[in-house]
Amino acid sequence: MLLCFFVAKILLQPERAQDVHDIELLEAIAAKDEAALGRLYDRYRVILFGLLMRILNNREEAEDVLQEVFLQVWRKATDFDQTRGRPFTWLVTLARSRGIDRLRTLAARERLAEAGARQSSEEISDAASDAFKSEQRDLVTDALAQLPDEQKRPIMLAYFDGLTQSEIATRLGTPLGTVKTRMRTGLMRLRELLAGKDESFGF
Amino acid sequence: MVHDDYKEMIPARAVSALDAEDARVLNEHLENCPECRRELDDWETTAAALAFAAEPLEPSPQVRERILSEIGSDRSTSQVIPFKSTSRNIWTSFGSLGAIAAVVLFAVLIVALIVLWRQNRAAQVDLARANEFLQLVTTPGAKVTELKATDIDAGATAKLVYDRNGRAILIADRLPGVPQGKAYQLWFIVGNKPLPGKTFVPDDTGKGVMKDQVPATALDSAVFAITLEPDGGASAPTGSIYLRSGQ
Repeated sequence: MLLCFFVAKILLQPERAQDVHDIELLEAIAAKDEAALGRLYDRYRVILFGLLMRILNNREEAEDVLQEVFLQVWRKATDFDQTRGRPFTWLVTLARSRGIDRLRTLAARERLAEAGARQSSEEISDAASDAFKSEQRDLVTDALAQLPDEQKRPIMLAYFDGLTQSEIATRLGTPLGTVKTRMRTGLMRLRELLAGKDESFGF
Repeated sequence: MVHDDYKEMIPARAVSALDAEDARVLNEHLENCPECRRELDDWETTAAALAFAAEPLEPSPQVRERILSEIGSDRSTSQVIPFKSTSRNIWTSFGSLGAIAAVVLFAVLIVALIVLWRQNRAAQVDLARANEFLQLVTTPGAKVTELKATDIDAGATAKLVYDRNGRAILIADRLPGVPQGKAYQLWFIVGNKPLPGKTFVPDDTGKGVMKDQVPATALDSAVFAITLEPDGGASAPTGSIYLRSGQ
């Protein structure tokens, strides 16, 4: 009898996972449903770990921050406000914020040593885009490809390296005002390019 | 700074690119401006899409295990549920009881060990005496004389074994216990003259074993007797005779 129950549960699980919406998952997590956290993790681990690896460039640190992020999701799921945005946005914002915090913590001992290597990570590698084909990834890489380099680089330095506008100005040897303008123009262009395709990021 | 100035800062805020001072003033404005907060929410959606620009990568399976293990322990420690708390107290109590039980068991083991060691030592002493007695008995020319109880205590028995050199062992059994300051003393009576032997105190079961030396004059024709005397022994018998030979 008990065995039948578990077998049925296992068989039904994949179907249920597809049906359960992120918001419902977060509600279940807020009610301390451990399985729900496991499902949310399985859904986003790859994209969030990729993001953290891009920021931290260190597998151990990235995995540690990924763990922190989901532990925070577990503790703060009640803070999620669906009127303000999607769960995916919330997760990425959380992961990026944690990742950049960690990067700054490590900065003193690692930043200088890795600055050179990081230069190349500002560009999206073709090899990477070939490795993982998805609609969302293609849309974003295509949109970024349409931005002039002078607009794209400040955005990437802020997003993946956690640099502020002043730090970007120093890094690129460009006046602060110019950095601010280019960044804003680039982001607005990016939003236009992705506009109407928002559903693709809907998860 | 006017509303539009703040609004211009929002895209950079969504990618957390604002310098500290800019971030501070914008945050203050956001607290009082629902429109800008909505604007920021929209920009954060765009910013989140940029995560796809990173190469998707698979973390090691241990991360998932660590997360689930952590929330498991987190849940059991952070939630204050009376039942859980009670059950934890029970386990704590069991732990204390266990510690007490362990101490008691340890003490019992130590006592048992001491008892066994003493028994073993006593057995070794008995064995040594038995060997000695056997050796003496099997010596050529050895004599065994039985001492019989007098009317004072009919149940007592004793044997004295001695060889021609006077080497003797007395083995007594079922002797009454002795009062404080008293001991049994062996006498060698040659003719009518009692020669003093050594004293001994029987154990709780009334057994007594003692080595002595039979005087040369007593080797051939003597009567052996046991009396109750002061524990230092007497030069002449003062107490009653409990056992004697040749009756």
